[in-house]
Amino acid sequence: MRLSIDKLSKAYGFLWALRDIHLELQSGQLVALLGPNGAGKTTLLKLFAGLILPTAGSIQLDGATFAPGALDLRRKVGLLSPADHLYENLTVSENLRFFASLYRRRHSPAALVQTLESVNLGPRRDDYVANLSSGMKCRLSIAKWQLLQPELLLLDEPYGVLDGSGVDLLEGFLRAHCAGGGVVIMASHHVSRVLQLCSHALILHQGRLTFNEAKQQPWPSFDRAFSEFLPHGGS
Amino acid sequence: MAQAAKPIRKSRGVLGALALTAIAIGLYWGLVIAPPDAYQGEVQRIMYLHLPSILTAYLSYFLVFVGSGMYLWKREKRDDILAHSAAEIGVLFTALTIIAGSIWGRPTWGVWWTWDARLTLTAILLLIYTGYLMLRSLIEDESRAASAAAVLGIIGFLDIPLIHMSVYWWRTLHQPPSILQPNKPPWENVHPSMLTALAISFAGFLLLYFYLLSLRYRLGEMREKIKARRLERGV
Amino acid sequence: MSLLSETFLLLRKDLLLELRRRDSLLTMFFFGTLLLFVFHFSFDLPPDKVAEMTPALLWLAFLFTGTLGLAQLFNAERENHCLDALLLSPLDRGALFLAKTSFNLILMVLVEIVVIPLFWILFNLNSWNLLPQLFLVTFLGTVGFCVLGTIMAAITLKARARELLLPLILFPLMIPIILATIRCMENVLRTGELGDALPWLRLLLGFDVIFLTLGVLIFDWVIES
Repeated sequence: MRLSIDKLSKAYGFLWALRDIHLELQSGQLVALLGPNGAGKTTLLKLFAGLILPTAGSIQLDGATFAPGALDLRRKVGLLSPADHLYENLTVSENLRFFASLYRRRHSPAALVQTLESVNLGPRRDDYVANLSSGMKCRLSIAKWQLLQPELLLLDEPYGVLDGSGVDLLEGFLRAHCAGGGVVIMASHHVSRVLQLCSHALILHQGRLTFNEAKQQPWPSFDRAFSEFLPHGGS
Repeated sequence: MAQAAKPIRKSRGVLGALALTAIAIGLYWGLVIAPPDAYQGEVQRIMYLHLPSILTAYLSYFLVFVGSGMYLWKREKRDDILAHSAAEIGVLFTALTIIAGSIWGRPTWGVWWTWDARLTLTAILLLIYTGYLMLRSLIEDESRAASAAAVLGIIGFLDIPLIHMSVYWWRTLHQPPSILQPNKPPWENVHPSMLTALAISFAGFLLLYFYLLSLRYRLGEMREKIKARRLERGV
Repeated sequence: MSLLSETFLLLRKDLLLELRRRDSLLTMFFFGTLLLFVFHFSFDLPPDKVAEMTPALLWLAFLFTGTLGLAQLFNAERENHCLDALLLSPLDRGALFLAKTSFNLILMVLVEIVVIPLFWILFNLNSWNLLPQLFLVTFLGTVGFCVLGTIMAAITLKARARELLLPLILFPLMIPIILATIRCMENVLRTGELGDALPWLRLLLGFDVIFLTLGVLIFDWVIES
């Protein structure tokens, strides 16, 4: 798949949240989206997910743009927002079944159970989501997107709530996703973790894309760009 | 930009002058030249304000409908400005109609207000489009407000025939429409100078309407320009 | 076909959530009953007058309880940004409209099934045999209310003071439904059949069909930002 972004801008009221973003991404790329608070990371993810419309510019996924009725495109894009997008008063497995039917992904009950086992939620499958901890909700979100199989997977700060094994689980999932031809864009403040995982890094600063490079070892240009907005280095 | 604005401003001035002249002539014709009504006497002369203003209001709501539909289809800001401007002026003319009608009703029917079909319909129009303006002002996000208002602008207009039908069936006390009576050409019912006065007055109201609309539209455009300027000076 | 299956999927989800929490149904039911008491004391009508006022009083009660339901219509989607999760998905937006409309319709019909007989009991009315026809007319009116109400609830979703705004923009648009149902009910109560009110019934059906179709077609633009 191919993601092309051209002159993308988004304004809220009198302020630019994003300004003139150009970007080309291809299958297999695992992209780290970095930047300080308020840099526009979440806005950019929402634009990619088609939840908000750009003020100017265009987003193309395999040549298609988000518009009312572009439902096939929506099937290709997933947004993993760690504790969000789950119904609190449905059980774990009800949530999965609901979203799987919504995306018309047919899964046998056994496959559902297996997916839940793989994120260590097997014993909790009949619990209400309201009773899960935020880390478990994040695991459930991972299971959800494993089942829904989008091509472009967007993640908004998934690390904060996960424990060690959860992080391994997430990273394994993301690597497998990219190896299967998908694209991952992950916004995060956990720079050291993300840098190990990613194949590509973007830095947003005050709504502008100030850095856009494939990973190298070592990576002096990244260190320079990064220190500009965070003089004391990352976490 | 400034050179282009000048002729537009000039022609708008001409439009305003024409409107003023036509209304003045219409009033003179209606109040002085046309004979008093055979049954209602002098008070019937209020018709020369009442009828043109409600027809103009209907035209205005039709423009809200057109602007709303175009906005949802093309997402062009100018269509939204058109719909918004037309709604504001439509509410103004509807309110004028009700006030003039009330003044006319007092000596004719003996009451300021009666729940006759046409009065009720006009009052409902006022409620719907006041609601439209409230909806706009209560939604923070501008593009969201524009689409919400556009939906209401379309539904409100499509609802008018149904409301019209229902309030007519409910109760009718109003004098039958005096100008367009079926089977009789209008000039046989009404004194020709009354018709002339009405026609001139209507032309005057139309000119006034488009004058106000162009002013209000210009205001909307200027707001957009200010927003764009402030955006440019921002990030 | 997929429109209907998606509608069913969403409706089942909403009903399941409502079954677990019963927020809307209970508040609507109590509010509807409460209104009957308020009407009784504030009008203090002699029995022969009650029959005349019945359609209007009932419809006032349904309008208010229905608006209460509409104000909570998207509550399930409010927590955890679940509306975003639905909008993110390849769901036909028309299905979301149909599901929400039928959900509110089911709630209102359940309330009406209780409130109408209760009205007959509280106001000592005898015309029990007319209730089936009354239900039918009320149902058609309720469909129209829910159809337009769902669209209006969706466009006021992100508005300030949305609970107050919703009736302000909804009620004027509902005039045809209110007048038509009241006239139909009056005729049924007076003569036992629709009779002269047949054009009103057609108006009611026309309203339902027009806005149901329009809703399915434009909900895409209604719900998207």
